[in-house]
Amino acid sequence: MKTFIVHFLIAFVGSYLYFKYGDPFVPYNAIWAVLVASFIMFLLWLTSPTYHRSYFHKLPRAISLFVFFLKELVVANFRVAYDILTPNYHMNPAVLAVPLTVTTDLEITLLATMITLTPGSLMIDVSADRRFIYMHTLYVKDNDVESAKQEVKDGFETRILKLTR
Amino acid sequence: MSLFSFTLIFAMAALSICLVLIGIRFALGPSLPDRITCFDLFVANIIGIVAIYTELTGNKDFIDVAIILSLFGFLGSISFAYYLLKSSR
Amino acid sequence: MFENINFLLIREIISSILIIIGVIFMLIAAIGLLRFPDFYIRMSAITKGSTLGLGLILTGMGTYFNEADMLLKVLLIIGFTFLTTPVAAHVIGRTAVRNKIPFWGPTDLEEFKDYLRKEHSTHRDHERDNKHL
Repeated sequence: MKTFIVHFLIAFVGSYLYFKYGDPFVPYNAIWAVLVASFIMFLLWLTSPTYHRSYFHKLPRAISLFVFFLKELVVANFRVAYDILTPNYHMNPAVLAVPLTVTTDLEITLLATMITLTPGSLMIDVSADRRFIYMHTLYVKDNDVESAKQEVKDGFETRILKLTR
Repeated sequence: MSLFSFTLIFAMAALSICLVLIGIRFALGPSLPDRITCFDLFVANIIGIVAIYTELTGNKDFIDVAIILSLFGFLGSISFAYYLLKSSR
Repeated sequence: MFENINFLLIREIISSILIIIGVIFMLIAAIGLLRFPDFYIRMSAITKGSTLGLGLILTGMGTYFNEADMLLKVLLIIGFTFLTTPVAAHVIGRTAVRNKIPFWGPTDLEEFKDYLRKEHSTHRDHERDNKHL
């Protein structure tokens, strides 16, 4: 995480200086700015195994987590939109107590943020001994609570664990 | 009037209809947390309207309003919720 | 090869499409706010729909201007929204549970009973905390 922030700042300042003082042979607009910044980031990422070995594997995992999250966001939004626009309710709401595998503060915060941002699920609280989170979810298929929990654990939690451990 | 600006004006009109619907829920809302949710959505809609107005006029200064609004809307809804959390017992 | 393409027209078309999709999501969210039966369902389903709609509208605006500083401001607003919306939703949801807002009838509350009992029986603790102030 620290390495990522340092790399991001270097890429930002580098692309700014390139467009301000360098002799850019690309036009100054949003797309080229993003491309130049990500190119600097890519060069820094290639040099990273010499001083921070695990960062080399973690950046692709972070990108895959982000892409999975975006996909989940759009799919769930369309599901809720279908439910709003058709006259009958297809919902089957429940409050689940999902057992946690993640332990540290950062991991729980990431998991809670991602659960809350996907529509149809809302995180209510963490239990006092940090072993469960209580989430309100809309779509439980034919009252099968266990498979709904397993879906959450397989989807977000394993990816977060891969990223942070 | 080109098709582009017509689209933007249409989008602004649709967002205004959204504001009316949210206002109805704000008046109906059976409980206080409902109204806080409405306030949150209100701020989000107004940020959208400011963004579309920026694009319609082409004046880039208006987008700063949206930045400030996105911060203050969060502070407003959080402080309402916190007040409710502390005062209801 | 690229001389005859009107880039302004392409940007306008992409930006209009993104803005229209975002506005449709916001409209659906507002209709759902009126239709859904209970506070928690409204909360969990609606606020995020409007977040996605806002993100699409802002992306469309950034596409139209196509300047680096504008893109930075747009990313700033999207980042703020995506950071602050779950926090606000979480706080409001927990406030609603503490204030005993009822759940919708068919909701499955089997695993939540312990928490509710504990939450509603600890009124005294809070009053005791306030006496220190």
